[in-house]
Amino acid sequence: MQPWFFPDMKTDLAVIGQGAVTPAGIGITALLHGHPVETMISPVSRPDRQWPVFKVNLNDPAFARWQKEPRLRRASPLSYFLVEAAEQALVGLDAGELDQTGLVIAFSTGCLTYSCRFFGDIVTQGQKAASPALFPETVYNSPVSHVAATHRLEGSAYALAGDETAWIAALKTAWLWLEQERVKQVLVLGGEEFDSVSLDAYRSARWLARSKLKSGFIPSEGAAGLLVRRAGPGDSKIISRMEDGFIYRSKPEALAAGQRCLQQFDSRLPCHKSAQHHWLGNIERKLTQDRPPGSAVGEQAYLGEATTASAAWNTLRALASLDREHPRLLVPVWGGTHQIGALEIESPPPILKAPIRP
Amino acid sequence: MKRPVVITGMGAVTPLGEDVASSWQALVAGKDADVPLELFDTAGCRCHRAAVASLPPLAEMRPKALSRLSRASRLAIPAAREALAAARLLDSAGGSLLPVLPLSVSTTAGGMAFGESVLRNALARKHSHLLGPAARYLPHQQILDLQQALRFEGPSVILGNACASGANALGHAAGMVSSGMADCVLTGGFEALTELVFIGFDCLQATTVERCRPFDLKRSGLLLGEGAAFLVLETPEHARQRGATPLCRLSGYGHGTDFFHLTQPQPDGQALVEVMRRAADDAGLAPREIGYINAHGTATPVNDSAEVRGYRTFLGESLDQTRISSTKAAIGHTLGAAGSIEALFAIQALITGNLPPQLNLQTPIPEIAAALVTEKDASRPLRHAMSVNLGFGGSNAALVFSRHEN
Repeated sequence: MQPWFFPDMKTDLAVIGQGAVTPAGIGITALLHGHPVETMISPVSRPDRQWPVFKVNLNDPAFARWQKEPRLRRASPLSYFLVEAAEQALVGLDAGELDQTGLVIAFSTGCLTYSCRFFGDIVTQGQKAASPALFPETVYNSPVSHVAATHRLEGSAYALAGDETAWIAALKTAWLWLEQERVKQVLVLGGEEFDSVSLDAYRSARWLARSKLKSGFIPSEGAAGLLVRRAGPGDSKIISRMEDGFIYRSKPEALAAGQRCLQQFDSRLPCHKSAQHHWLGNIERKLTQDRPPGSAVGEQAYLGEATTASAAWNTLRALASLDREHPRLLVPVWGGTHQIGALEIESPPPILKAPIRP
Repeated sequence: MKRPVVITGMGAVTPLGEDVASSWQALVAGKDADVPLELFDTAGCRCHRAAVASLPPLAEMRPKALSRLSRASRLAIPAAREALAAARLLDSAGGSLLPVLPLSVSTTAGGMAFGESVLRNALARKHSHLLGPAARYLPHQQILDLQQALRFEGPSVILGNACASGANALGHAAGMVSSGMADCVLTGGFEALTELVFIGFDCLQATTVERCRPFDLKRSGLLLGEGAAFLVLETPEHARQRGATPLCRLSGYGHGTDFFHLTQPQPDGQALVEVMRRAADDAGLAPREIGYINAHGTATPVNDSAEVRGYRTFLGESLDQTRISSTKAAIGHTLGAAGSIEALFAIQALITGNLPPQLNLQTPIPEIAAALVTEKDASRPLRHAMSVNLGFGGSNAALVFSRHEN
């Protein structure tokens, strides 16, 4: 694969804020140390059977404040996940900086719940059942608009679609806006919501865990995000390289794509693995077996598969695991249905200041 | 770093034609593609018409592979192939000459018709009919179809900024080239008519049951359409090295979010004004230097009145000297493809000096009447043209195209 970045171009992004909404709870602590509880749910096509799913607790008090927002009155759960993750990531920013803040959100299925409800009503009751209140909330861009309006983010705002690797496209978009000086910082989010029709799709692809006793793919939902700016001296967490675009359609092609992608990175770089339960897990094991393992913050729980949200969770977890022993990590992003990508993250050594002499 | 960006190839499939030439010829001749909609059942809807595209044949594909393609891919692949051919980037076997070619693409619904099948089959408990459509409905599957059909890979950005996303895709691609992130990008948008989206606009009463009349006092709503347009963007140096001839420059891009309402623009058009100013500033132009604007002009009551106010503020006294038309009366509102197709029409106007007339005008909105393109003044030399789009969620975007001086 030809390099498409100029070799001398710095693409460093400094992480200055983070937020997470997970089925294990709300916030970074829950992301790193929480344990999600399974809910058994039936697919639309098989009401007689159930599979385990990880759902976000919408009754969590963190969401209560957003229910008062007029903009969010009719919004889908996805918008709530994203607005809350954004609030956490923006916490260190002054109100005056919001007009210089861009927003990029990566989605795979977007507002799936309302899309299914809207079209399901049409299928079962006819066209006259179509709800004008639901339809605008089915659009990819609606949660982006809600997040931007709720937090008054007046910079550029994009909704990006794709598989897990849309998260990398979103980070690259942030880098581009910062390079163009359109904004001073960018909030990058990934988010998904669960609907039972997902079980029909995953079941047809034979991706689901057959029982909760066996490890395997468990559908999930949630969001996570990073507030990033151009890296400078003193920044402690940096995304220093982003690669994507290694496409595939079949399993053999996925292996070859993963090989081409990971070859772009230093072979001594420890790897933060994330596909243990994914259908690409075997490929990850095969391609990373010769790399040193990345460190882990204790035993982290499996949060299930929520495409772009999972990619964001894994990046946040990897950032949290950077330490003296592992100051640089490779974070593969295993796109489940289109392409393979990867990030390199690092924690540069602190700049030593000369002691102040009396 | 800010490098100039030139356009070296364009391709389109629109309801007016299966390529750029036939679409443009029909457009400037004042034709429209408003026909009864037969792709799916519209019983129970207010509106039963749309602008429907003919699918160009993909002769090189085997029937089985063809049957797996969504309607959206059937629109996107030929448009992208035409763009690559025009840019001299297509090999004799119909594949891309560049094995790695970044993509910046837009859509709002992707292969939604397949998504509709998944839900319909799941509700009918047809378990064995789920995998095919489930695997092919999300937008990145159409991107994969495109990459496989034209034999290239590379990073892709898929923008879903509602009806402005086509303009966003082009603006984003231009940013990739101008910043040095890429030397050459294939960009564009695609959209196929789908039942969910059609009924959605119908239930909002945004579609018209009469003629689509942008900027008319008697306008009553939009005509939905479908299509695809793709463009090749690169640096002049990259084009020169390949022996490609630039058609024009993409000289300015502005985008922003209007917080007023999820589905309605700020009535005074001020959010749109800011976006147009950013695009003009990016191009280093005063508003009066823009000779033609391809307007969003959906023909819905709220959109067009806000847009007219926006143009009055942005253009000021030069409004009457600028020429404006919305081509949605001819090809319908193609949603995620609109920004790309309409940008292509703005470029054609810039290159040829022919302007698409404003169709179906009876009683033009007085504040913009003098600027709307009529058959009498449908020809004028241009140095700069603009394309403007607004979308759900308040996503606004404007692009400026300028003549390329060697």
